[in-house]
Amino acid sequence: MITIDRVSKTKSRTQILYDVSFEARPGRVTGFLGPNGAGKTSTLRILLGLDRPQSGTALICGRPYRKLDRPLTTVGALLDGSGAHRARKARAHLRWVAASNGLPDSRVDEVLEIVGLTGAARKRAGRFSLGMSRRLGLATALLGDPEVLVLDEPVNGLDPAGIRWIREFLKDSAAQGRTVLLSSHLMGELAEIADDVIVIDKGRVVIQGRLAEVTGGHRTLEDAFLALTAADSGGSW
Amino acid sequence: MVRLVRAELRKLFGLPTAWVGLVLGTLAAPLIVLLNAPYTRRAIAAGTVTDTSDLGLRELGLGLIGPMILGVIMVSSEYTSTGPDSPGARQLTTTLTAVPDRRRLLTAKTTALVLVVAAQAAVTATAALSLAEVLHGDHTSMPAAARVAGAILYWTLTALLAYAITLITRNGIVPLTFLIINSAVVSVSYLLTKVTDLAAYLPDIVGARMFLRTADFPVEISPLTAGLVMTAWVAALLAVGGVLFHRRDV
Repeated sequence: MITIDRVSKTKSRTQILYDVSFEARPGRVTGFLGPNGAGKTSTLRILLGLDRPQSGTALICGRPYRKLDRPLTTVGALLDGSGAHRARKARAHLRWVAASNGLPDSRVDEVLEIVGLTGAARKRAGRFSLGMSRRLGLATALLGDPEVLVLDEPVNGLDPAGIRWIREFLKDSAAQGRTVLLSSHLMGELAEIADDVIVIDKGRVVIQGRLAEVTGGHRTLEDAFLALTAADSGGSW
Repeated sequence: MVRLVRAELRKLFGLPTAWVGLVLGTLAAPLIVLLNAPYTRRAIAAGTVTDTSDLGLRELGLGLIGPMILGVIMVSSEYTSTGPDSPGARQLTTTLTAVPDRRRLLTAKTTALVLVVAAQAAVTATAALSLAEVLHGDHTSMPAAARVAGAILYWTLTALLAYAITLITRNGIVPLTFLIINSAVVSVSYLLTKVTDLAAYLPDIVGARMFLRTADFPVEISPLTAGLVMTAWVAALLAVGGVLFHRRDV
């Protein structure tokens, strides 16, 4: 369960989030949709305790991220890039992350297997393709077998097979009762897997609800999205 | 906490640059003792060197590049871009999602660095002093344990100094360049001692007083005072770096 409650954030004197509130519930895939620069990543970074909001709270299972002990066993997060130092071998990266949360080394080989990187375990992260970097990031997120997954633009850089794989993986995770929150600027992608959708634009949540509710009278999520955000954006993408 | 220190040790040893720091730092001093042996022997015979009490200890200064590299990369590796595909992404994101309590994280990092550098200093000091003993045994005797401990402390504090500065700058290139030039090429701190006696209290200059006897030095400072002054420098910089690390967004 993820609860974001009236989160506001100002960065370099510019307000980038205005009273953002939403929930992501267990057993459902929640899509966080918005154009680039709308505030998706900023919201997720606050949720993960990386940045501080000016006001409001972001809770995971009722607790702020910074208060979680061994957080990887509760939350798996995928942000930009692989998250690994480029000179480090994939396996070495996963091994230190595992050690930091008291997870056994055997789990490292398991997650490498899950994301299909077993063959690249001894390769340095800096030599990875974009798709492999995303897989390594995902492997890191899965280390603690968490009940909550927070993924920022997870399909970026993945090939069609990778996209299909992650789609199935996230659906399965939600079916097993996990909370899945993923951001994307690709509406088609979200329409495929999201149960609930939150649309954010210029730092404000413009609509949220079940996929069908958000799509409303519009033919597709894309139409709904454009109608909701087109008022004065002039097509920033 | 043990698990966090273990993770930081794994993290450090997974970096090729750390091994450069470990190997260079450990081998430099003994190697210099060895290479300088013919010159030292001649100088002793000719009577130009009469006080041999610093033999084997003075050479430890050149190995300091090791702890400097280790101290800097302990922090700078967190801020290095993970690659051209995502220039803004850094390992620090992974670190803080794994260990969100920043105070505990810094404590673990500091502990890991101290363990590694103190062990490295103990090994290299033993090696350099044993070599000096073997090569010039007639003219030198093993220094008191307190002096060796002073040298190990100097190494550890130097690593922490580099680490604290990098916490403030969040980039390794500037502090590493400055520290290496200052210690190995032109010592700005040493030049300053020619201008004002106060420069004798700069951390790198005063710290050497903990274990060296014969260095050219403007004011008399006891080893204990020297240790306290250098520790105060390191504590102050660590405090500033720690507060900044705690407050900044990633």
